[in-house]
Amino acid sequence: MQGSTRRMGIMTDVHRRFLQLLMTHGVLEEWDVQRLQKHCYKVHDRNATVEKLEDFINNINSVLESLYIEIKKGVTEDDGRPIYALVNLATTSISKMASDFAENELDLFRKALELIIDSETGFASSTNILNLVDQLKGKKMRKKEAEHVLQKFVQNKWLIEKEGEFTLHGRAILEMEQYIRETYPDAVKVCTICHSLLIQGQSCETCGIRMHLPCVAKYFQSNSEPRCPHCNDYWPHEIPEVFDPKKEREAGISKSNKRSLRSRQH
Amino acid sequence: MSQGRKIPHCMQEQHHALSEPQGLEAAQVSKALEETSSCSSHPLMPGNLKEALAAGAPSTPHSLQSAYSSYTVTTISSSKSDKCFSSQEKETGSASSKSLSETEGLPTDPLDEKVTLLVQFLLQKYQMKDLITKADMIGDVIKEYKDDFLEILRRASECLGLVFGIDVKEVDPTSHSYALVNKLGLTYDARLSGDEGMPKTGLLIIILGVIFMKGNRATEEEIWKVLNMMDLYSGREHFIFGEPRKLITKDLVGEKYLEYRQVPNSNPPRYEFLWGPRAHAEASKMKLLEFLTKIHESDPACFPSQYEEALRDEAERA
Repeated sequence: MQGSTRRMGIMTDVHRRFLQLLMTHGVLEEWDVQRLQKHCYKVHDRNATVEKLEDFINNINSVLESLYIEIKKGVTEDDGRPIYALVNLATTSISKMASDFAENELDLFRKALELIIDSETGFASSTNILNLVDQLKGKKMRKKEAEHVLQKFVQNKWLIEKEGEFTLHGRAILEMEQYIRETYPDAVKVCTICHSLLIQGQSCETCGIRMHLPCVAKYFQSNSEPRCPHCNDYWPHEIPEVFDPKKEREAGISKSNKRSLRSRQH
Repeated sequence: MSQGRKIPHCMQEQHHALSEPQGLEAAQVSKALEETSSCSSHPLMPGNLKEALAAGAPSTPHSLQSAYSSYTVTTISSSKSDKCFSSQEKETGSASSKSLSETEGLPTDPLDEKVTLLVQFLLQKYQMKDLITKADMIGDVIKEYKDDFLEILRRASECLGLVFGIDVKEVDPTSHSYALVNKLGLTYDARLSGDEGMPKTGLLIIILGVIFMKGNRATEEEIWKVLNMMDLYSGREHFIFGEPRKLITKDLVGEKYLEYRQVPNSNPPRYEFLWGPRAHAEASKMKLLEFLTKIHESDPACFPSQYEEALRDEAERA
């Protein structure tokens, strides 16, 4: 660890508090992260200029590198919001969840995960997940209990629920992308544009390639005749708008409203 | 919440010098709550509370900045046996998919790998507010290197302190159990807050304050008098704190911030609150006293016995 102590010189209480807060929240949206950063400066170094977020995070990451931990930035699959989480890079399992949940609960998550990955839409119905309750490792779990556990996953931001169906929260994708790609190499879907793991998205009806909704939004931005980048067929789906943080704040739409407005597309 | 309410008389006797009745004004108490919560304006908070982002406590007052001074490690020239991880190329794709021991080419100090794993393990435990035992650490992480436990723990602790501002403190030498303590002070802990940044931490600070001011133990009645003034009643669900009785007798006790026990020899049984071990580890009596006295614009020196105790506490911590 000796070489890295050199880099630890940049760590001040501002950075430490920032890391602690990011850790305790699990995952945060970009505007929250900016607010948090300002809060940390306010608490520990009132007179300093707040460093640009990207540089601030890169600096912290250079220190975290030797610990195989990173502040990772991702984007929500449904509406393209930037999100941040502190992730372990050397994860070989769903380890981040391991201390929060019992063995049978973790197995329930794994089952749900498999159903989600195998599905066409990226969503697994509550019914289908609950039907697997008998196959869980560890202590026997009843369906009623499993319903509560699923809600716990939603509260802790591992799953998102929409109309009785579950998909992966952006946090789970950030934390577990690697684990998922390694564990389910044949079943995983990938976005043609950004090449990252794809759970929800749109697909070309002719050739089958898939794209994330925010990737679709960017790719076809101001294109009146969207065509599949692979087979050139007309792109049949509604093109979502590119996420604009300023516009959203002006409109004063709350986060939860926005999420329910967006319909699933595939 | 009416501005005019004062704290019960029993707290007023603490103070002699000022003419105004002392104690925590309910409105200032709620100001403190807002202050100790996140700096975001929370949508459920009534409008007047939102404005209460007053400057100063509990964020580190400048005079105490030295106690929590930044770690600036002066540049250390890299030693010859430069450990693998620091010099490794950052290949986000391939490197991260290898196990730690398969890193290419460079000599790996095997202890370094264990240190990294222990840091990650402890970070997870920190969020759970669990006590960690030596047995846990050896069983789950250190395994075959158990003879090097102390060295691995030392390096991991150093790392946690420098990078995350977390201290590893041995709380019980006989059972070898350790607590992870926030070095940065008890001002904001989202884990204790509810899902939307609810200021439970603020309430905790108030309760710790009451206990401290009353000579390190406060009866249940005394605590409820204070809480009632903040519109918190036993059995009545509060829109921010939930059911207060559960919060103080179960949740905060479970988090080791409070101790709730029967008053010795009380018949019929009465109960009292004391600081829990985590409060002792995390909260600084001096900071608390400064914060409480600042709320009602007095000075720690006006509370001589508490001030003396706080000074002793500071000395012990140093």
